[in-house]
Amino acid sequence: MTTVKFHHGMVTPLVALFVGVVGFPLAYAGYLSTTDYKLTSHGTPNLVGADNYVATFGDGAFWHAFGTTALYVGVAVGLEVLIGLAIALALQKQRWARDLTRSMLLAPMFITPIAVGLIFRFLLNDQLGAIPQALKTLGVDYDFFGPGNALYTLAFIDVWQWTPFMVLLLLAGLESIPREPLDAARVDGASGWYVLRRVTLPLLAPVLVVAILLRCLDAMKVFEYVFATTRGGPGTETETLQYFIYQTGIQFFRLGSASSMAFVVLLVVLSVIVVAFRRMERAKQS
Amino acid sequence: MTNELPPTPKRSRPFRTRLLVALLSALTLLAAACAGSGGPAQQQATGTGEVPKDVSGTVRILMENVPDTDIVKAMVPEFNKDYPDVKVDIETLTYDQMRDKLVSSFQSPSPTYDLIIVDNPWMVDFANAKFLQPLDARIDGTPDYDAKDFFSPLTDITNVEGVHYGVPFYNYALGYLYNTDDLAQAKLPVPTSLDELVSTSKALKVGDRAGIAMQPQRGYKIFEEWGNWLFAAGGSIYGTDGKVSLNTPEAKRALQAYIDTYKTAAPANSLNWAFDEAFRSVSSGQAASMISYNWNLPALNAPGSGPSAGKYKLAPIPGGKQVLGSWSWAIPANSGASDAAWAFASWITSKPHDVARTEKGGAVIRQSTAKDPAVLNGPLGADYYKTVEQILGNASPLSQGPSGEEMIQAVGTELNEAVAGTKSVDDALAAAQAAAEKIQG
Repeated sequence: MTTVKFHHGMVTPLVALFVGVVGFPLAYAGYLSTTDYKLTSHGTPNLVGADNYVATFGDGAFWHAFGTTALYVGVAVGLEVLIGLAIALALQKQRWARDLTRSMLLAPMFITPIAVGLIFRFLLNDQLGAIPQALKTLGVDYDFFGPGNALYTLAFIDVWQWTPFMVLLLLAGLESIPREPLDAARVDGASGWYVLRRVTLPLLAPVLVVAILLRCLDAMKVFEYVFATTRGGPGTETETLQYFIYQTGIQFFRLGSASSMAFVVLLVVLSVIVVAFRRMERAKQS
Repeated sequence: MTNELPPTPKRSRPFRTRLLVALLSALTLLAAACAGSGGPAQQQATGTGEVPKDVSGTVRILMENVPDTDIVKAMVPEFNKDYPDVKVDIETLTYDQMRDKLVSSFQSPSPTYDLIIVDNPWMVDFANAKFLQPLDARIDGTPDYDAKDFFSPLTDITNVEGVHYGVPFYNYALGYLYNTDDLAQAKLPVPTSLDELVSTSKALKVGDRAGIAMQPQRGYKIFEEWGNWLFAAGGSIYGTDGKVSLNTPEAKRALQAYIDTYKTAAPANSLNWAFDEAFRSVSSGQAASMISYNWNLPALNAPGSGPSAGKYKLAPIPGGKQVLGSWSWAIPANSGASDAAWAFASWITSKPHDVARTEKGGAVIRQSTAKDPAVLNGPLGADYYKTVEQILGNASPLSQGPSGEEMIQAVGTELNEAVAGTKSVDDALAAAQAAAEKIQG
């Protein structure tokens, strides 16, 4: 009895902290999403029930931002997986100066994202930036923040900064794969590509799924790059969810509306995660 | 005899522990639910205009990190000679960070700031939300203050439904900044009409050097710049009825001229440019002109700032009317040191100290200061102040009424679409008008 009490007693502070740090913001945001609260309001806001949610579901600009973010995540994380895997495979085979190489490769991850955004804003400036100048010597004239290009440029910035994170996870995954299946495949005469496709990747799958999920969730929250460079332009081409919700809630004071948008995003993302994990479980069991 | 261990007791959670956890959780959420919606319930009394010299208190001020703020900071020791018991504590932030911090302070029962500066798009919203103290009694009660001496477009901005909530701090009216050598080389006079602005910009484009560095970034920047083109075309943002009026022939002409100039005379691939890029382009000699804040002239002409330092001049926007921006001193309704705050705001904006601030390079707010011999004979020269006087004599802000920030963003988005080519001029202006009507009525 005393032991059981002790166990539960030890968990109580964590539960209280969790409730306070996670539960309170969620509950308060949930409450605000059912009110007409604005940052310039006084007194208790009026309850409007599901009006904010109805407005959000019918808001074309919100779903446009959703689509923009989905495209951004797809491009950025897709490239990060491919490049990250290639780098991780190379690092795994490296025998000399491993620590130095890994430190250099991981460095972009440690720069604060707003600083990265500002750096690239001027690095890609047509008159002042080094990259356009270098491209011009090769006869290439590219408008990095022009219509049709800006979103991919932001995705490229994300790839530059966060591929090292993917490398870190995948490298750890590669180094934890048992050697025997790989050696057996090579002894049987399998080519490098076959070993990668049929042995390494299936064994790496659990780590890969987690890495992709973590990066997707993080990339979905992109705000700093947009804020530092395009402010959502040209037009609304780079108006991502976070930027749209920030503008609605903070710049335009409509915190009730913004809260409902945040909950709609939460609902969609949770649904995707639940479906994805259930499929993984079923695949594992089968 | 066998040593048998006693059976493991059934692991069931005691009721008391579950109750404790549930109670703790509920208490935490209840504390959260009891959190008020914030904000002062009603505004405080304005108090006296003639603040005694022995007033004491700490005045915490939030300001933007611009040159005018550095000048104000440098004048604090002089202020303390008159008000020795007032401690002035100035925090500076970039523009984008300021409003969020201000709103948090307004909503907090223990405010962070006692005196603030308010940008013109925020004034109506802040006043309507009762975040600011009315200042008429203080203004009228301050000896020798002469509020009528301020340029009227600046005091108009502080007036919300007949009540003044601020006094001017500095103006950021826009003007036409140009390289005199480049203009002379092109054998052209300073443009005085929209057509001349377009043709001069094209003529100034020589080789790699752009004719004009533009700022078509979506949102505030493009609207702030294009507003001048609209005025040059004879248009206006608001009609005589006070309603937004953007879908007009003048607006169409102004937007077409703007796009034409962007495509033919602005730096290539500069759709995303805002102030920093345009300023650096001009100061590094890669563009011959720009439309920007009038007080940028000293920065362009500062020795060592670029290959053409000293060669730049300021002219009114072609057509004679310009977009006006203005920052105003205001006292939050929940200020912890209202009298001390007014002591500082009234001191720094009083006639003698305004002359001192302007002599140091501060932006003009008083008509008498713009004519003061000490200022005219200063490093910026009489021509500059005469031009600023002209500029401030006919200038209008981008937004009037509530939700100014949202209106500016909506219109700026449509303008940027038109420049990007993703919407036609007609569609963009129609959408801008519809958005602005929806936001401001």
